Amino acid sequence: MNTKLQALVALQDLDLMIREAKDPEQATREEELGFPLSGVDKLERTRDRLAKQIDEQLLQRYERMSRRFTRVVVPVEGRVCLGCFMGLPTATRRNIDPGTVEHCENCGRILYRL
Amino acid sequence: MPTVSAAPRRSETHLELHLRPSLFIPELRTRKKSSVLEEMVAHLAEHRIARQAQAVLEVLRQREALGSTGLGKGIAVPHARSTMVTERAVLLARSTKGVEFDSIDGNPVHLCFLIVAPPVDRDPIYLQMLAEIVKAVRLAPVRKKILEAADFASIRSLIGAQLA
Ligand SMILES: [Zn+2]
Repeated sequence: MNTKLQALVALQDLDLMIREAKDPEQATREEELGFPLSGVDKLERTRDRLAKQIDEQLLQRYERMSRRFTRVVVPVEGRVCLGCFMGLPTATRRNIDPGTVEHCENCGRILYRL
Repeated sequence: MPTVSAAPRRSETHLELHLRPSLFIPELRTRKKSSVLEEMVAHLAEHRIARQAQAVLEVLRQREALGSTGLGKGIAVPHARSTMVTERAVLLARSTKGVEFDSIDGNPVHLCFLIVAPPVDRDPIYLQMLAEIVKAVRLAPVRKKILEAADFASIRSLIGAQLA
């Protein structure tokens, strides 16, 4: 997987964790079970640092799409986008060079392949 | 007519359904939090639950930065959701000597339940399994038996009995 995407995947995972830690219902449940969630500020600082490493255009696209989808960066398995479960045209696969970032033609999500 | 002697089997909890003999490390090789997480994630990668070990490891480290998952009494339940996880899974690892885990009570961890899941919208099962683990190991004699159990099947039934 290209390094641009690696950082974006890390950002997406971190965003999910921050969102859940800030969700009152979920946070209360975890704390009641004995898991203190005191480091949200720390995670937010890490998030800012990480975001700075990401290509500006790619980051903007990710941020914009995050309002619509929980997961913006999704895997391709077989030739199917695991965001919308639609098949991808074979051309998409043939034309990729390792430096480019692919998008699903159907839903627009950012794709990664391993 | 043959008599049915067995009582109807209760339905298994989410935790029991996720406990798999292949996801069991009877004795951890390492004894520090960060290397133990590494060891456990490598195991998940071997079983194709982690698509990319490094990414999953990073999420778990971030989760520990949010607050240690060392619950005290020798138990840790590191848990996180990651894009690089293929399916919800629980990996149990034991350490007879104990792992330094920044636990709430400062004691070493002997039983480590690692939960990972892909980042779907809301996953009630993920949180429920967290609660089930906490419930299953709340008694000291049970923790001791899990640590000393000779095989995974006995651990599974010990846990099942606590959740029945
Ligand atoms: Zn799609």
